Amino acid sequence: MQTLSRLTGWLILGLALSFQAAAQAPAPADPVKDQQKRSVEQPGNNAPVWRDVKSGQPNYTSVPGREVGVLVQQQARFPGQEHMTTAGEAWRKFRNGPITFYGGWLVVLVLAVIAAIYYTQGPIKLHDKPSGRMIERFTLAERWAHWVMAISFCVLGVSGLILLFGKHVLLPVFGATLFAWLGSLAKNLHNFVAPLFIVSLLVFIVMYIKDNLPEKGDMNWLMNGWKMFKGEHLPSGRFNAGEKAWFWAGVVVLSLIICVSGLILLFPNFDQVRATMQQASVVHAIAAVLVIAAAIGHIYMGTVGVEGAYGNMRDGMTDETWAKEHHQYWYEDVKSGKAGVKTAAKPGAAPQTQH
Amino acid sequence: MARMKFLCDAERCIECNGCVTACKNENEVPWGVNRRRVVTINDGVIGAEKSISVACMHCSDAPCMAVCPVDCFYKTADGVVLHDKDLCIGCGYCFYACPFGAPQFPQAGAFGLRGKMDKCTFCAGGPEEDKSEAEFKKYGRNRLAEGKLPACAEMCSTKALLGGDGDVIADIYRERVARRGSKGAEAWGWGSAYGQPPKGGAAPAAAPAKKS
Repeated sequence: MQTLSRLTGWLILGLALSFQAAAQAPAPADPVKDQQKRSVEQPGNNAPVWRDVKSGQPNYTSVPGREVGVLVQQQARFPGQEHMTTAGEAWRKFRNGPITFYGGWLVVLVLAVIAAIYYTQGPIKLHDKPSGRMIERFTLAERWAHWVMAISFCVLGVSGLILLFGKHVLLPVFGATLFAWLGSLAKNLHNFVAPLFIVSLLVFIVMYIKDNLPEKGDMNWLMNGWKMFKGEHLPSGRFNAGEKAWFWAGVVVLSLIICVSGLILLFPNFDQVRATMQQASVVHAIAAVLVIAAAIGHIYMGTVGVEGAYGNMRDGMTDETWAKEHHQYWYEDVKSGKAGVKTAAKPGAAPQTQH
Repeated sequence: MARMKFLCDAERCIECNGCVTACKNENEVPWGVNRRRVVTINDGVIGAEKSISVACMHCSDAPCMAVCPVDCFYKTADGVVLHDKDLCIGCGYCFYACPFGAPQFPQAGAFGLRGKMDKCTFCAGGPEEDKSEAEFKKYGRNRLAEGKLPACAEMCSTKALLGGDGDVIADIYRERVARRGSKGAEAWGWGSAYGQPPKGGAAPAAAPAKKS
């Protein structure tokens, strides 16, 4: 018993000592004391001060303002960068490097792929003749939500592209004066249209979320939906899985990311520091380029890519043939009255009574 | 051709803010904008306090120039980084990119809307005709055109702040370091701004200016 208690005693003492040692070892040197010592031992050696400055910590200055006490921005590194540099330099390299390069070519690639589909496969046409009987596909409120968002999105997309790529594409053509005027217009449009986009986006999500929830047939559509370019349509609900993917990835996730990061950049009067704005700008640009690439696809499918699609969103009414071919489950729900949707004859035809 | 640079000697700066005042006065800088500022490290601690005056360093490979979406920056034959306020759209990207926090934005409206960027011009004005009224109104005095050096450095009471031909001021600094016999001769900011710190007081070679 005695040996055991003695052993325990030694163990506790040893543990206590080792903890003390562990606590002492990584204790950081106080830069202020360090500098005081240096000034005596090695006059003129200001290494502790320079380390302090390099860390990006704010120091004292009598000039008022945000981050004015920071002599030089802190060190940072964006993904894919080998070395730490000042955050501003890292941001510049990331923005002017991968974002501009890959982002620019992604947009060009998407345009090329769509042009190739259009010229080789052609638009997706109806197989049967239009029946003349119309079904309401989008209510007036749904169309307003869509078009306010769509038009503000296009204004933001084009002005954003001008600000990111215009220097490389338009400036050599337009010259400095005209391009600066265009850039100023783009910046102001971007700033003032953004709030409208945010509001319409939120309204749109609330209105469309119900019919974009997963349903039967979605998995099948995701696997084989590409066959529509060969003229083969898979049955789907009011929105097919491709449209749902666009809704969730493009409209909900990416657009909300863009809104939040954009607000950080739009209102610089909330004392956010440069590092926050650099990160927000990077997130904003990446999400925006992705959503623009996807939106180009959506705009193609909604206009020339699919016969009848544009009219559906413009007038809100679609032909029964179109509904049957493109969204069979939805069509069946409408016909059975489950969807609670109005049906009518084409304007000019004899009005149909509903039973 | 001279390559204009700034150098602030931390052993000499006494945080009098004379450079800040000289700059504001000489260039009639708008309210709320300070092109130059003095930052004090370990303020009030005896033996550890160091001050540095900082403004646009007129970098060799200037990040502001590289990120400007309308390319409103240009570099003079003297290596001074200037910008055209008629082209500036007030996006603030130069302010994100600058390591030294040089670009300033007068608030031009509600919600932090930025006006045209303003920054140190090395007292070299802007793209307007030298010494013209329009140039003075937008950018301040063009002292280089008058054959003078920047007002801040000229005004510095302890000659801590040096502004002029990089080779000349590096020589002055090297001589000071040698005379002090002190260790560590880092000319603060030169690594970030001009690409290579002057090791042991040697005159640094300016990195070639390239935009990417």
